Amino acid sequence: MNSFGSFAYCFHQGIKNIRRNKLFSIASVATMTACLFLFGIMYFILINVQYMLLEAETNVGVTVFFDEGIEDEQIANLKQRIEAMEAVRSVVYKSAAQTWEEYKETHLTDELAETFGTDNPLEDSASFSIFFESVEEQTETVAQIAMLPGIRKVNDTEDMVNTLTRLNRILSIGSVIIIGLLLCIATFLISTTVTMGVSIRRKEISIMHLIGATDIFIRAPFLVEGVIIGLLGACIPLSILYALYYKIIELIASKFSSLFSTLNFVNTSEVFQVLAPVSLCIGVGIGFLGSYFTLNKQLRNFRQL
Amino acid sequence: MSDWENVPASELQEQKIQESDPALESVSENSSRAPINPLDAPVIVLEHVSKEYDGTTENHALTDVSFSVKKGEFVFIVGPSGSGKSTMIRLMMKEISPTEGRIYVAGKDLAKLRKRQVCKYRRSIGIVFQDFRLLQDRNVYENVAFAQQVVGAPKRRIPKEVSKMLNLVGLSGKYKNRPTELSGGEQQRVALARALVNNPMILLADEPTGNLDPQNSWEIMNLLEEINRRGTTVVVVTHNREIVDRMQKRVISVQSGVIVEDKKGGYGHE
Ligand SMILES: Nc1ncnc2c1ncn2[C@@H]1O[C@H](COP(=O)(O)OP(=O)(O)OP(=O)(O)O)[C@@H](O)[C@H]1O
Ligand SMILES: [Mg+2]
Repeated sequence: MNSFGSFAYCFHQGIKNIRRNKLFSIASVATMTACLFLFGIMYFILINVQYMLLEAETNVGVTVFFDEGIEDEQIANLKQRIEAMEAVRSVVYKSAAQTWEEYKETHLTDELAETFGTDNPLEDSASFSIFFESVEEQTETVAQIAMLPGIRKVNDTEDMVNTLTRLNRILSIGSVIIIGLLLCIATFLISTTVTMGVSIRRKEISIMHLIGATDIFIRAPFLVEGVIIGLLGACIPLSILYALYYKIIELIASKFSSLFSTLNFVNTSEVFQVLAPVSLCIGVGIGFLGSYFTLNKQLRNFRQL
Repeated sequence: MSDWENVPASELQEQKIQESDPALESVSENSSRAPINPLDAPVIVLEHVSKEYDGTTENHALTDVSFSVKKGEFVFIVGPSGSGKSTMIRLMMKEISPTEGRIYVAGKDLAKLRKRQVCKYRRSIGIVFQDFRLLQDRNVYENVAFAQQVVGAPKRRIPKEVSKMLNLVGLSGKYKNRPTELSGGEQQRVALARALVNNPMILLADEPTGNLDPQNSWEIMNLLEEINRRGTTVVVVTHNREIVDRMQKRVISVQSGVIVEDKKGGYGHE
């Protein structure tokens, strides 16, 4: 058996099927595209929220500020006591001067910074950044730290962490439902496309059987049709998503600016490392399986005596 | 590789017989036929075959039909319309199964072939249908090439084989036409080209000259005789008394589903 020749033949027939059944093929591709586009956006949000959660857990911790006029000695004392707490991983001291320098660098232009001269408007903003072993133990420990003498204020990240976690869960559930629904529609459309194709070619298929064409030979064009639909339905949204990743994610971030405190997103290649193969698998898988099972049903009538 | 379609008809015959199919042996024991001589072996054997289409016993398409066709034989099946000739062809290609009796082709019991084997079997025979059964959405060339694609012939060999075949049936000028753009006789010749393009070991032709004028009919018959001379077993259903009388081959006459005569020579009575 010359398998390449047969493959080329089946591929050609598959393309022909699609052309002959244009309307349904386009509808299938469009549904698949919509489905995987939505899937991509959900994934963008999920992965970035997750990224922020991770960042919150390891980088942000809490920041505590001291009472006005606190002595250096007291600060050193506090540092020791906090470091001794079990849930605390590390404590980093940042002086008021350092804080001001950083602020100037990230938020002010040089000219603007000049106008302050040697004044430090953030005179009382010396702080500890406290990092915890994990987010779970944070709440209790933060309460303890707030009670310590000399502590003025604790900037807690827990609210944000909680909100993000909740958002994450809602998004996950919501996206699973919506995407599941769309996948059902896409599968249904592919199945209809194949059913139409089989019924158009009913006579042809029986002739093929009679002159000895194998089941695979008869099925292959329809399977190719399904796979091509799936492939297109995956590639179209992927290329749009790829081109517009930062635009999309920034748009979302601006809509939920209270949540997306940073504009520090997971980079494109990292996102598509997962999204591309998953989308392709979903598209091609649904195209192939939808076609395969429909054929099982449709071709049963042709089983010879 | 033991694919039937890749083995030349002559070789295949011996190979299949030497396999000593138990089914075949039991048949030869039960029947009064002489022990099988591989050189004189029957390729097609029908044993007490009956076929009723709708299950009503009084309306048999075929009743207790038995005959065998030897390797390399040329056989006409004649009879009035509705006598069961096409039914025989359809049974032999396993398009339908007999209600009773057994059919062996190349030593294989057709009833025992599994689905895959049925495909292989059909690829090893060439069939011309009474109603042609061409693929309507493909042109003449593609229809013939299709038979080659089905057996997985190498892609670069297909154009050569197909054009050779279309030349042979005199249709090379119309290779681009769709079946709907052809006359009945032309469609018939496409069907014949499709049946022959794979060099089948057996050719089953149901009225291959039914729509042809005498001139074309003779050309087709000469072609079939040539194919037969090269080793293909040929079974032809026909109404054409003139041809049958002139060619002096074995003639099986059927009437109302029963074989009424089976002898070498002309069309016989009626
Ligand atoms: N699919 C079918 N269902 C029911 N009866 C059928 C079917 N096909 C054929 N028959 C009946 O079986 C009998 C034999 O039919 P068959 O087609 O074998 O005749 P034939 O000898 O080929 O006739 P013709 O020369 O007209 O082609 C006829 O009486 C016909 O009515
Ligand atoms: Mg007939």
